[in-house]
Amino acid sequence: MFFGRPKKRSLRVFFATDIHGSDRCFRKFLAAADSYEADVLVLGGDIAGKGLVPIRRENGNLVARVRGEPVAVPRAEEERLRAEINRMGFYSVLSDAEDIERMERDQAHLDRAFQRAIIEQIEGWCALAEERLAPSVRCIITPGNDDPKAIDPVLKAAGRIESPEAEICDLGPVVMASCGDVTPTPWNTEREYPEDELGRRLEKILEGAPVGRKMVVNFHCPPYGSGLDFAAELDPQLRPVIRGGRPSIVPVGSKAVREVIKRHQPAVGLHGHIHESKAAQKIGSTMCLNPGSDYAADVLRGAIVDFAEDGSYIDFLFTTG
Amino acid sequence: MASTSASLGGKAAAGQGLFTRQSSGLVRELGVPAATGIALASVAVVNTFINFNAGLVSFNQADMTLPLLLGAAIWLVAMFAYKYLLEAIPRAGGEYVYLSRIISPALGAMAGISICIAFTYILAANANFTAAYTPFMLTALGAAFNSSAISDAAGNVTSQGAIAAISVVMLLVVGAVSLVSIRRLAQVILALVGIQLLAFLVLGWLLITHSHQDFVNALATFSNHPNAFNDILAAAQKNQIPLGISIGASLTAVPFMVLNYNGVLYAYYVGGELKRPGRTYLYASVISIGLLVVVWLGVWLLMRNTVGLDFMQSQAKLGATDPDAYGKITSLQSSAGGLGYGLILSGDPISKILIGIAVPSAELAVDLAFVAVVTRVMFALAFDRLLPISLAKISERSAIPTNAIIVAVVIGILFAILAAFVNLSNIVANLALFVALIIVAGGVAATALPYRRPDLIMRPGQTELARVGGVPVPSLWGAATTLLAVIVVALIVTHPEVFGSFTLTSVGALVIVLLAGPVIYLIARQMRLSRSSIDLRLAMRELPPE
Repeated sequence: MFFGRPKKRSLRVFFATDIHGSDRCFRKFLAAADSYEADVLVLGGDIAGKGLVPIRRENGNLVARVRGEPVAVPRAEEERLRAEINRMGFYSVLSDAEDIERMERDQAHLDRAFQRAIIEQIEGWCALAEERLAPSVRCIITPGNDDPKAIDPVLKAAGRIESPEAEICDLGPVVMASCGDVTPTPWNTEREYPEDELGRRLEKILEGAPVGRKMVVNFHCPPYGSGLDFAAELDPQLRPVIRGGRPSIVPVGSKAVREVIKRHQPAVGLHGHIHESKAAQKIGSTMCLNPGSDYAADVLRGAIVDFAEDGSYIDFLFTTG
Repeated sequence: MASTSASLGGKAAAGQGLFTRQSSGLVRELGVPAATGIALASVAVVNTFINFNAGLVSFNQADMTLPLLLGAAIWLVAMFAYKYLLEAIPRAGGEYVYLSRIISPALGAMAGISICIAFTYILAANANFTAAYTPFMLTALGAAFNSSAISDAAGNVTSQGAIAAISVVMLLVVGAVSLVSIRRLAQVILALVGIQLLAFLVLGWLLITHSHQDFVNALATFSNHPNAFNDILAAAQKNQIPLGISIGASLTAVPFMVLNYNGVLYAYYVGGELKRPGRTYLYASVISIGLLVVVWLGVWLLMRNTVGLDFMQSQAKLGATDPDAYGKITSLQSSAGGLGYGLILSGDPISKILIGIAVPSAELAVDLAFVAVVTRVMFALAFDRLLPISLAKISERSAIPTNAIIVAVVIGILFAILAAFVNLSNIVANLALFVALIIVAGGVAATALPYRRPDLIMRPGQTELARVGGVPVPSLWGAATTLLAVIVVALIVTHPEVFGSFTLTSVGALVIVLLAGPVIYLIARQMRLSRSSIDLRLAMRELPPE
């Protein structure tokens, strides 16, 4: 029992997802290559942050509200203040009272501010990857539904990062198909499609897969009813639905993703989207994984997945780093 | 499931200085009140009514003022050490995750498995204690409702079978209540802590509003013995019970009071569910320690004033060493301590009810808190594959480790039944030492943190940790905690008559409990290596963020 011989590992993938602008989690993601001896890092979408903290210049100081509390620092400490804000997964923007007021009343202006902040951060991350990753490590980042489409060209243009969104990518023993599209959410994001349309988009991606090669699918949306997709049911006002005194928990994954997995039976399915639904589940012969996300606590949840030389899946291990 | 609207969907959070995009996601549920509730419940606030008495039995001429203050100071020091640990590794599992990530997986496993075993036993011991205390509760309730039927029932629940049955029922209740979400559980715990604090206030009020002579008269009336107070003092003198205050005895009682505060920092065990862990933990711990010092010291000083230290020492010691002589003077249970004083001074039924239900409330709260604690350690062990992975399964509906709760409660019930019928005192004699060793483990982990994993506590852009005298600040807190905890360990080891004797059985049990973790770790790792290419140690690697 103790001295068996497992299949020899040919490829180790470290998969994480839904870090939502957390600089600390991204740095941990890069460090995972070394710590977990991974050959390929895959970040499966929802990398954009959700909050924007305006920093005002006031009497030679910089003033902001951090975690709801007013903070004033000398201008010399701008970098420290912005780092502290980013640690919470928020962006910071230097502005004045007039600009803040405009953000409050002008949706388009606020959207532009968000977009600038998101792109600026991703460009910074791309540079960091260039600086920190060993040459032998591949780093793949694909978008999720929470990421504006404006980030796609930024990721594609990065020298050290690959972003094979809606493409097939060769990882050696296996090929990987990636898609950040999801079924409709209450928030009407840019990458949402009805089940039928999503199914067609996924099939189109998989049409390009070489015949006879083992495959991994990196679909941001988890398969419906797989245990990887449980989330609180929300009412039209986005409040949790309470049934029998408790929040109603329902599967919110995609039936199209499930059908595609059943039909094509990839070796492994890498999913995210639902932070609170960390789970592993087999659908047919496919091992589907959602490592979940706890980025708000600076914790990088992930999954190490090993493949043999013939592309077969050996084992996985969820990590909390 | 985080998402944006068709545009980026930004909106201003009024007055927060923050624009947000709508999203949902994993929510850490426990704020400062809930974490404070878990910390206070782990201590069993009201037990001190009784524990003061136990301290007076164990330590001749002890006064609890100094131990109460020094005990709190030691926990304050430890609090800062744990704060750094929690900020570095903000997740469930306590010493297991700290030691496994900072020092070695085997050492972490030693802490994790032994905590699971010891804390599950404590669940059972608390249930047994509640069962043993039921007669006092029924007496108090009988007096409150003027019901001889209730009072008489007290005599029917003292058998081993009754104690086992009450313990099992209590643990089943604990298990059922523990199956709600951690937030709801914290509300239940807070309510139970509230009852205990109310009982303290009632006792405080009774002690303030009654003079020493009132107490003497009330004791006489309760005991149907006109000179009960003086007769107890005389009997103590006859038994050569030493009275008064000795600083040496008070210092020796410090470990006793340190153990009394044990649990006041336990919010770190649910670190994975705390909002803004470092800050929430710090606030909850400071509030808990502060509240306990005020309440406990206040009631102690009031008891000294109204009842008198000489009488408390005489009653405690006489009740323990010569129960026959004591029983001839009064029927007031000597081990009831402050609760007993409250009972005889209270004239209204509400006070009697509160005093009667204070201890069961405390034990229920302790067990609920300990189930939360022990199951989070089990969760962390299972997440790292040292225990069956099913114990790490989280309920989708209530976000709690359901399987771990069931296992903890079932093992607790087995322990409770065993303890009701078999004398386990020799086997668990070194439990106090084990509890002190846990603090040592936390102190060592905090001391090593800046040296072994400085990356976990460095802020972005920071290249050097704050130092005092060349030593990183977290290490200083860790070293201070370790030193104080080692002193407590030394006092425990050198006073076996108070803290538990060292026999082959008790030491053997302690060694087995401590070695179980490393053995399980080695077996689990070897088993995994035999069928997988992924070493278990990878699960215990903390990623450097910088």
